[in-house]
Amino acid sequence: MKNMSGIKTKYLHFVPLFGILPIVLLFLKFIHVEESSEQMTGFQIIVDVIQAIQKNGISLSYLFIIAIMVVLPLIIMLATIVAFFKPGKKILHTTILLYVLKLFGLILSLLTIKHFVDGMGYLQVEFLIKYLSFGFWTTFLVDVVGLIITMKSVKISSGYIVLTVMSVIWLFPIVWIILNSFRAEGGFYIGYFIPKKFTLNNYVKVWTDTSTFQFAKWYRNTLFVAISSCILTSFIVLSTAFTLSRIRFSGRRALMNLMLVLGMFPGFMSMIAVYYVIKGLGLTQSLAALVIVYSAGASLGYYVSKGFFDTIPRSLDEAAFIDGATKWQVFTRITIPLSKSIIIFTVLTSFMGPWADYIFSSIILGDNVDNYTVAIGLFNMLTRDNIEKWYTCFAAGAILIALPISALFLSLQRYYVEGLSGSVKG
Amino acid sequence: MKKTPLKHVGERFNWYKSAFAGGNIFVKLSPILMGAANIRYGQLVKGIGYLCMEIMFILFVVTNGASNLINLITLGSKQQEMVLNEKTGIFEVIQGDNSMLMLFGGVVTAVVIVFFIIVWLSSIKSGINTYYLHKNNKPVPGFLDDVKSLFDINIQRFLLFLPMVGLIIFTVLPLIYMITMAFTNYDVNHQPPGNLFNWVGLKNFKLLLMSKDALAKTFWPVLGWTIIWAVFATFTNYIGGMLLAILINKKEIKFKKVWRTIFVLTISIPSFIGLLVVRTMLNKSGIINNELINFGFITEPLPFLTSAIWARATVIIVNMWLGIPFTMLITTGILINIPADLYESAKIDGASPFKAFIKITFPYIFFITTPYLISNFISNVNNFNPIFFLTAGGPQSMEYFKGAGKTDLLVTWLYKLTSESKNYSYASAIGIVIFIISAILSLIVYRKSGAYNNEEGFQ
Repeated sequence: MKNMSGIKTKYLHFVPLFGILPIVLLFLKFIHVEESSEQMTGFQIIVDVIQAIQKNGISLSYLFIIAIMVVLPLIIMLATIVAFFKPGKKILHTTILLYVLKLFGLILSLLTIKHFVDGMGYLQVEFLIKYLSFGFWTTFLVDVVGLIITMKSVKISSGYIVLTVMSVIWLFPIVWIILNSFRAEGGFYIGYFIPKKFTLNNYVKVWTDTSTFQFAKWYRNTLFVAISSCILTSFIVLSTAFTLSRIRFSGRRALMNLMLVLGMFPGFMSMIAVYYVIKGLGLTQSLAALVIVYSAGASLGYYVSKGFFDTIPRSLDEAAFIDGATKWQVFTRITIPLSKSIIIFTVLTSFMGPWADYIFSSIILGDNVDNYTVAIGLFNMLTRDNIEKWYTCFAAGAILIALPISALFLSLQRYYVEGLSGSVKG
Repeated sequence: MKKTPLKHVGERFNWYKSAFAGGNIFVKLSPILMGAANIRYGQLVKGIGYLCMEIMFILFVVTNGASNLINLITLGSKQQEMVLNEKTGIFEVIQGDNSMLMLFGGVVTAVVIVFFIIVWLSSIKSGINTYYLHKNNKPVPGFLDDVKSLFDINIQRFLLFLPMVGLIIFTVLPLIYMITMAFTNYDVNHQPPGNLFNWVGLKNFKLLLMSKDALAKTFWPVLGWTIIWAVFATFTNYIGGMLLAILINKKEIKFKKVWRTIFVLTISIPSFIGLLVVRTMLNKSGIINNELINFGFITEPLPFLTSAIWARATVIIVNMWLGIPFTMLITTGILINIPADLYESAKIDGASPFKAFIKITFPYIFFITTPYLISNFISNVNNFNPIFFLTAGGPQSMEYFKGAGKTDLLVTWLYKLTSESKNYSYASAIGIVIFIISAILSLIVYRKSGAYNNEEGFQ
């Protein structure tokens, strides 16, 4: 065999082996019910399905079974044999596509086989996935290995398989919540994934129905808190970081150590005391109190920005001092303009904070419903009394919050990563 | 030359001591009449400022401060009572002392006193400086000069003013208050204003750490689970995120940006939303159980969040869903910076990709991220959200202290003790224990990390 460019012969040898194997495996048991000691080989299932077609006429589910158990395996076998004798990129790529199709079909069959088997009246008991036997799982495994081998033979990374599987897992909750936000039928305890009817009403309802939840108002509250605390926090963090990074003054080390120590206490250990301070200042249950609480302790998180400022060459400052600049001018005219990424990082994280905080806001705002933030609102939609009626609205509300934040985050992601890698350097 | 901070302070103190001894009557008057030297030598605004502060402080001590301090020691002695009013024949409430407000007032007073002592020392210092400037015929800076210096030589005072005020009022003061609470018996049976509470010394710690009480029977298992959780949460995310980053960064993988974005989506959504959604999905009658039954995988719903073992596994796995993308983002930046020639020479030496990973990629990333890893461990000890939003600490356990559950971390238990059962003294004691754990870990890390030891390295 010639050594062709872009094809690894080492793996090509095994391609037909895994192409032929599934056909042989059809003679193993596919279904085995221990309780009634019923067994069925793959071959038997095919025969039964063909008989059923003759009797009842053709239907989609019969076609599906025939496709994944007979047609696709045969085509894959042929393709792999052709690929072995006349190796080429085109035929191997086609084989990969066929494998993906078959594996997809096999996974889909896991989700449909119950209805199929129960509908055929094959078994005396109700079908469970655990009745699927050795033959089925081996076929599944062989197909996965076959796919990997074929991919390797054309130097396509098998990492794609891992990434695809992981993406599905990672996106599953997100897709679920998006689907739910458009679901027309209400209720929480539904037994299916894709809504029967789609609607925009949930969005309208969560925004306008103020009978139980004043979501629109809370959204504005949160926006206000997020913007104010983001401005205050950014100023506090950046000036602390700049001072501790650039200015040498007596007590600096002591201050840094003190802040390190303060940061080690769990944040909401002092929550109750903060509540009394707020009360003492006459700001009970107000949004201003929330802004203050979010930003007052922000200086403890100066490390990331300081790490960044530390990397700006000192010579720049010194040159400016020689030219007669004050330290304030160095801060505002030299350091700040050079720190775009860390400023965006600080602004972004402090803006996102209030949207996600439930604990502090719920303690500080207490029962002042007018001043609630969205986090409290969403949390309350899922209590036992509300979940049945409000679950789809919760989904819509969640999307309304997540959408702008995600968009902001994704568009500023570059700066976020730069800021973070600053923190890793420690 | 490296001086120890203490020695440094000692030297400066000695200088000021001799300078003070050599000063004139105004300098010597300064400790009693703050700002005397400043006013005499031309710093009118500053001097009057000091004087005003002194007057205000004295007024404060006379009106409130002194009694607050006494209250801090006694924490109140008069309990709230019901007394029969002879005229009306009705029982009336006679207000007693409120221990909680007394403790709070005492702590505030103590902080004010410390603050005043700092001002007092600075006023003496300032007086001495002004006197010697005047004596040596140097110009004495006026008020405007002082203000100007805030933007230049003394910029730290200006820039740190707001952060420090915030920190003192909203972090330091509350913390001191809560720390003192750990040494009282402010629990559910001693709730002001109806009851008094008192100082009990280290009793709470004894009860928590080495008694046969339900508290100790809860504390040790919860601490154990906290550590297990922190180890698993840290390492699953770390290794998973690193492998994912390496996978996406492979040369053969195309559409890197698309893959990355898919995973980053979970970070960009506020984490509590993701957690609440996942909680509803894992519910007994949530979509996952429902579909698993529908498709015939199982016949009974799985107790994802209701059985101790399942719930513990679930929170760790769901936390991977949140955390892996985060580590991926961090390691991606590092991976790109690994010198390529390392790999090339490894390739020439015939190392397999796996070996290259074990010998080059992993040690490199591990070396750079060790401080991150340990600070991540500490933040996982305090990782409130996944537990609170998924299981709220549940399932509850009969052996545990009332309210605590099998997935409770020390922090979530602390939260429950304050917000649900009002056992503030125990909560504070737990907070101090958490602090000690974090402090020991941080001490190891920060002392060893490059950032601490050679801070000037980059500049």
